[in-house]
Amino acid sequence: MTFDRASWGRLAPSAASLVAGLALWEIVGQATSAAFMAPLSGTLVRLVELTQSGVLVPEVLSSAGLFLTGMALALLVGAPVGLLLARARVLREALDLYIMLLYATPMVALIPFILSLMGFGFGPKVLVVFLFAVFPILYNTVEGARSIRPELIEVARSFRSSEWALWREVMVPYTLPFAMTGVRQAIGRGLVGMVAAEFFLSATGLGQIIMTASQNFDTGAMFAAILIIGVFGVALTRLGRAVENRFARWRN
Amino acid sequence: MAQLSAVVAGGVESARPRSPALNPRLVAGLAILLLWEATARLFAPAYVARPTGVAMALPHVLADPAFLRAAGLTLAAVAEGVAIAIVLGTALGLAMGRSLVAGRALRLWVNSFNALPMIVVLPLFSLWFGYTGSARLATVVFAAIFSILLNVADGASTVPSGYIEVARSFRARGWSIVAEIVVPAATPYILAGIRLAAGRALIGAVVAEFFTAIPGLGYYILYNSRTFHHNDAFVAVLLLAGFGAGFDALVAQGTRRLLPWYRRDEARE
Repeated sequence: MTFDRASWGRLAPSAASLVAGLALWEIVGQATSAAFMAPLSGTLVRLVELTQSGVLVPEVLSSAGLFLTGMALALLVGAPVGLLLARARVLREALDLYIMLLYATPMVALIPFILSLMGFGFGPKVLVVFLFAVFPILYNTVEGARSIRPELIEVARSFRSSEWALWREVMVPYTLPFAMTGVRQAIGRGLVGMVAAEFFLSATGLGQIIMTASQNFDTGAMFAAILIIGVFGVALTRLGRAVENRFARWRN
Repeated sequence: MAQLSAVVAGGVESARPRSPALNPRLVAGLAILLLWEATARLFAPAYVARPTGVAMALPHVLADPAFLRAAGLTLAAVAEGVAIAIVLGTALGLAMGRSLVAGRALRLWVNSFNALPMIVVLPLFSLWFGYTGSARLATVVFAAIFSILLNVADGASTVPSGYIEVARSFRARGWSIVAEIVVPAATPYILAGIRLAAGRALIGAVVAEFFTAIPGLGYYILYNSRTFHHNDAFVAVLLLAGFGAGFDALVAQGTRRLLPWYRRDEARE
């Protein structure tokens, strides 16, 4: 990569803004107490301490395990059901309203019920992540299926396409990009579900670090954990976009 | 002949004439309710919410002043937070969309904050603002602002340059270009951002109430589910769901009414 004038013009404002933001964080942190807002330096010190004391890595893995399990279940349920609904028009017409309603319902509101019915284990937490993540996948797949032009199916039929070929050549390729938009949204929501489960069910993972830190007025550790969640969030959002674009190329 | 017109109207699959008595949506709704009722009766303790229980709880919950006050508090906080997010988000989004330098400088931070699950700020906000309504308001604003900001920035940066050139050649100045060209052109994006923001704001308000235990619908749900009044608590969930879906439908309808020419597949989430 050559840093000619043009790419400097692109990079300079971002770099300056990054430095200014971090400097502002440091200055405000130094000016206030660590119980209110730890500076950048204090946050990095706590990050290193947490890593060295062996606290951080197991909790990161615990959070990642929760997120991945819930997301995997959401995909395993959401994708086949979404495809089935894409093809079976009667089922889709029967269920689309309810899927839309559940998609718009703030799932966090169900957490107290899950807590009182299922308690504090790993299962209820996975259920929370699953509930957050599954409806975007279903909703977008159904929306995609609804927008399939009937002519496509008609043409396939008039060429005596078998049911299997119809799925393989028309339904799946057409619906997949929409499903991928759902997957991207599900990644973001699943991350919210992960933190919500760790805050409101039993404290584990990065959520536990944040909760403990807030009880001890240890904003350095809190920012350290938030920073890690933020890095995960940005990386997963990028991944989601990449996956979506990979499959959505024909849509643009 | 009837078959042919059905094919033309709705595609091959609807060629079969359906009897109007068997509305699939209605059947599915009833089936879901029946399944829920049966499962709850057979396998769950008596306090667990079920359709008949929720239906019976509905009159006394809706007449309960504590419930109405909770609903009012939560919805007022959501409305106030979304209003603040719209004003701030539109202003910053316009700056990001119209100024290259501002766009490049802010995008990094805005994208990062947008990718952060907003709920992680709760412990921090309750440290900063105390266990009060201000913490809830701050959470709502934080939850709502970034989707508005990103959508407005997208909208403002994609205003056709021809519009602006015409305005310039009529000697329009900076502010009137923004107010009369950029904002109207970006309106569909602003609406799409608000639609997303409202859903997130609702989640923000509920989690803030869970966390800080200040009165509102979230706390109403938490308290009643802890004291085994699941049917009562579920009425609040229904209200939240209705509010979420209702606002979504309202903005969608508004977009169609105000901007009938406009079609956009999705907004930035």
